[in-house]
Amino acid sequence: MEIKKEAVAGTVESSDAMVTIAPNPTGAIEIHLKSVVERQFGRQIRKLVEETLKNLKIKSAIVRIEDKGALDAVLRARLEAAADRASEQKVNWKERA
Amino acid sequence: MNHEYALEKINLSSKKEKKEVEDFLEKHQLLLDHDVSLCLVLRLTLNQKIVATASAAGKVLKCFAVDQDLQGEGLSNKLISELIHKKAEENIRHLFVFTKPENTFLFESLGFYVVAKLEGAVDLLENTPYGLNNFKKEIIEKRIEGNNIAGLVVNCNPFTLGHQYLIELASKASDVLHLFVVWEDASVFPNTVRLKLIEEGTKHLKNIVIHKGHDYIISRATFPTYFIKDDDKILETHARLDLQIFADSIAPVLEIKKRYVGAEPYCTTTNSYNKIMKEFLPTKGIEVVELARKEFNTEAISASKVRELIRENKLSECKNIVPASTWDFLNSFEAEKIIQKIKTTQSRH
Repeated sequence: MEIKKEAVAGTVESSDAMVTIAPNPTGAIEIHLKSVVERQFGRQIRKLVEETLKNLKIKSAIVRIEDKGALDAVLRARLEAAADRASEQKVNWKERA
Repeated sequence: MNHEYALEKINLSSKKEKKEVEDFLEKHQLLLDHDVSLCLVLRLTLNQKIVATASAAGKVLKCFAVDQDLQGEGLSNKLISELIHKKAEENIRHLFVFTKPENTFLFESLGFYVVAKLEGAVDLLENTPYGLNNFKKEIIEKRIEGNNIAGLVVNCNPFTLGHQYLIELASKASDVLHLFVVWEDASVFPNTVRLKLIEEGTKHLKNIVIHKGHDYIISRATFPTYFIKDDDKILETHARLDLQIFADSIAPVLEIKKRYVGAEPYCTTTNSYNKIMKEFLPTKGIEVVELARKEFNTEAISASKVRELIRENKLSECKNIVPASTWDFLNSFEAEKIIQKIKTTQSRH
C-alpha cells in the first residue's frame, strides 16, 4: 500500500487513539508514539503498529500515534482506517477480514 | 456523573445560535473572535444547554471553554478530535493553538507540541512534533558560514525598487544575507509569484539565500493579528511571539546576528511590529538595523503604492518604482487576474 497523502483517523478521547499517517520522503517507516500507557505497554504497542503496517504492505510512512489507552483491536482499526485514507484506496473489507 | 452530550456544529450565520455561544463564552470571560469560521459545541442532551465549545479560524484553533462543573470529563478531547477531523476534510492538517501557559498541558495531552512560549502571557502549540523541526531542517540545508550573517523578512507584494534597494544595502553590509519570504497566501500577489519576482530582482547579488517563511514567520498561525485588525495589546503579544520564534529557533540555526528591516511609513501594523522588533530582538542578542526607504519623487517607494497606482488605472507609472522583472510580470498575461483583483477590492494586502 502506498501512502499518497496525509490522513488521520481516530480521536484523542479516552480508550481511543488518533493516528496520522503521512508520506515519508526518506522512504522508510518512522513511528512517533505518544501514549498514556507508554511505560507499561510501549513496546507492545510499537510491535502491534509495525505488524499492522507490515500486513498492509506499507514500506514508507511517517506514523504518528496519540494513544489514549486504546485496546489492540481499536488501535489496529485506527491504523487501517488512516492508512486506507492516506493511500486513497477503496478498501475491500471482505478481503481484509 | 454520567451525562450524555450531543456534538453540534454552530451555524454562524444564525444570530440566535451565535449569540448562544457568545453568551456561554462570556461566562468564561472569553469572546467569540470575528475571524472564526468553524464553531462546535457540546450540548447536554437533558436540557440542550451548551456545556463546551471550541472553534477554528483557518488553521488556528481558538475560543475554547468547558463548563466548570464538567471539566475533567474529556469534553475538550471530544471537541478537539472533531475539529481536527473537520479541518482534515478541508485539507488543513497542520493546526495551531494559542493558549494561556496554565492550559498548555491540556493541549500537550491532546497531541499538540510547543512552538514558542511567551513568559507569563501565551504559548503557541502545533499538532505535530515535526512542524518547527522540519522547518529548521529545511533552512539549515542552506546555511553558509560567515562572520557577518544577517536576516531580512520580506513580503514583496509585489517586488519594488524599494525592496531591491533595501536588499542591496543589507547584502553589501553582510557576508551572508538570509532572505525570508512571508509564505502566508494572504497577499494579492500569490506566494509563488512573489518568490519568483524576488529571485529575479536579486539575481545580481551573490551572497543572498532565499527561504520560504512557511508557518513560522509572519503567518496566520504565528501572527494572526497581522492579518486581522485587532486590539493593540494582542498585536503586541503576537508580534513578540513571532519574534521569539525568529530569535530562538531560526536565527541560531543560521547564526544570524543582525536583522534588517525597512522603515514603514504607511502601514501602522507593520510599524508597530518594527517598533517591537527594535525593543525585543536586541535582548536576544540580535541587532536590528532599520533602513530608510528609497524614494521616488520625494515619496517612499512601497508595494502598497504600486497597488494603489494599479487601482487608479495608472499602471504605467509603476514603471518608475519597480525593477524590469516586476514590470515585465505586471504586463504579462499571468498578471491580468491579479490586477483585476486589485481593482475590485480595497484590501490592505
